[in-house]
Amino acid sequence: MRGAGLMRRSHFMHRLGSAIAALALCLCGSASAEVVAVVSAKAPLAPLSRNQVVDIFLGKASRYPDGTLAVPIDLAEGSTARDEFYSHLAGKSPAQVTAHWSRMIFTGRGQPPREVATGAELKRRLAATPGAIGYLDRSELDATVQVVAMRELPLGAK
Amino acid sequence: MMPTSSRRRSLALLVLALHACHAHAADPEVPMFSFSGFGTLGVVHSSEDQADFTGTQSKPDGAGFSRSWHPGVDSLIAGQVSANPTPRLSAILQVISEQNYDGSYRPHVEWANVIYKVTPDITVRVGRMVLPSLMLTETRKVGYANPWVRPPVEVYSLVPLSSFDGADATFYIPAGTASHRLQATVGRTDSLYPGDGGGSTKSKARGNVTLIDAFELGFFSARVNVGRARITIDALNPLFDAFRQFGPEGEAIASKYTIDDTLVTFAGVGATYDPGKWFVTGEWSRLNSANRFLGGKSGWYLSGGYRIGNFTPFATYARTTANNLSDPGLPLEGLPPEIAGAAAGLNAALNATLAGRIAQDTASVGVRWDFRRNMALKLQFDRTSIASGSTGLVSNIQPGYRLGGKIDLFSASLDFVF
Repeated sequence: MRGAGLMRRSHFMHRLGSAIAALALCLCGSASAEVVAVVSAKAPLAPLSRNQVVDIFLGKASRYPDGTLAVPIDLAEGSTARDEFYSHLAGKSPAQVTAHWSRMIFTGRGQPPREVATGAELKRRLAATPGAIGYLDRSELDATVQVVAMRELPLGAK
Repeated sequence: MMPTSSRRRSLALLVLALHACHAHAADPEVPMFSFSGFGTLGVVHSSEDQADFTGTQSKPDGAGFSRSWHPGVDSLIAGQVSANPTPRLSAILQVISEQNYDGSYRPHVEWANVIYKVTPDITVRVGRMVLPSLMLTETRKVGYANPWVRPPVEVYSLVPLSSFDGADATFYIPAGTASHRLQATVGRTDSLYPGDGGGSTKSKARGNVTLIDAFELGFFSARVNVGRARITIDALNPLFDAFRQFGPEGEAIASKYTIDDTLVTFAGVGATYDPGKWFVTGEWSRLNSANRFLGGKSGWYLSGGYRIGNFTPFATYARTTANNLSDPGLPLEGLPPEIAGAAAGLNAALNATLAGRIAQDTASVGVRWDFRRNMALKLQFDRTSIASGSTGLVSNIQPGYRLGGKIDLFSASLDFVF
């Protein structure tokens, strides 16, 4: 798998990746960049492309690039962070996300991610569930989570 | 509607799957059972009062002749139970109530299958599924999932097969930031359609094979498919039986057009670009067969929409064509006058049937309004121009119907999911 090499890179590298991602988000500067994808601070972490993160949350991909199982966790329907996340990353309004899941559910292709009510609950789930990935408003970040470095890979990149 | 035996088989499979799971500890992240559903409350008005617009061949009546405003064209309600006993094994049972071939709303099983993840990227399904012969066939009844009131009939009536009983395998193949989903299906279908005088006619498809490659890269998705099936349709048999009474010449005509275990191949391509704020989507499909009455049909559409808040205005152009067919029929020379009259009548009936092959195009405009969570209201106006000599995609044609005319349709629907 393409991501396997990335996974073996040093701890320093993904710290660096996170820093670059954080910097990129700051440079973008728009209000909608306040929501970031997060995993447990203890999770091994490789940078993901935006498409890979979107595919995991939309049920199109069930694994990370290194082959481990991905467990996406949503914030509750109607929460600002959730709407921002999908509109910023996937270009989808809440209705478009529902339309997407109706296509998946009613063809037997999958069920939407489990939901948690609050950012605090999300952080507990991330810590307890191997492979879990969620998203949070930057203001809710703390030492229990790490930001997923997101980068756009050029087409066909190794 | 399916024969009882195959429905039993589907249900038996499902029950088996549900049993199999009891032994396993369930994954705490996934609920064991989930219930969901979808529906549409719709009404359609047609400017043509000498024929019905039914949307699909499987409905006995629609808007126009039967009723000026008809609720049965798009309205339906569906419920689904999904079972997820283990991360690898799941099953779905989906039941739909909609206007059936006999005018009843008796619920029928649309999906009943067991899904097994061989690996995270390889999925095998067995049971009843919807034949993915076109880009949207699997979700064409889920109004909420589509931007329009219904997928364009110019393409979606080309392959009038719905559920099939069989198996399929799906391979998910990541390719950089893109992905392919390869799918192969095999199975069989029995369908009932409205017949003359309130009866029904049967269509069978055997040896259905469909191969699909669905490609996705960010906001872009595309799909290529090829397929084949051996089709049997009874509807025209009385006409062909009458021809057979006229000796070898009649026999030759009958065997040329009879649809009995007749091989049909179909192919299609479709693509969508949807960055969120707007979308464009289009699709082309073609049906071929050595039986010229069954094959030689194609259709395409191009549609786009722009999202302004909760409103999505859209416009669509769709077109379907079929090879021109006519047949000299039985030679009349030398026949006694009475018999010659009967033969001429049969020739006329045959040519009317052949000319009835559909050629039309439709320009549509409409708007989808996502006025509240899980609900959308849609209004759509369609103007259809029918090619000269063709009946167009209508049924219950009355004596006063003019071939090659124009039909205006107005549709309103409320789509919901729960």
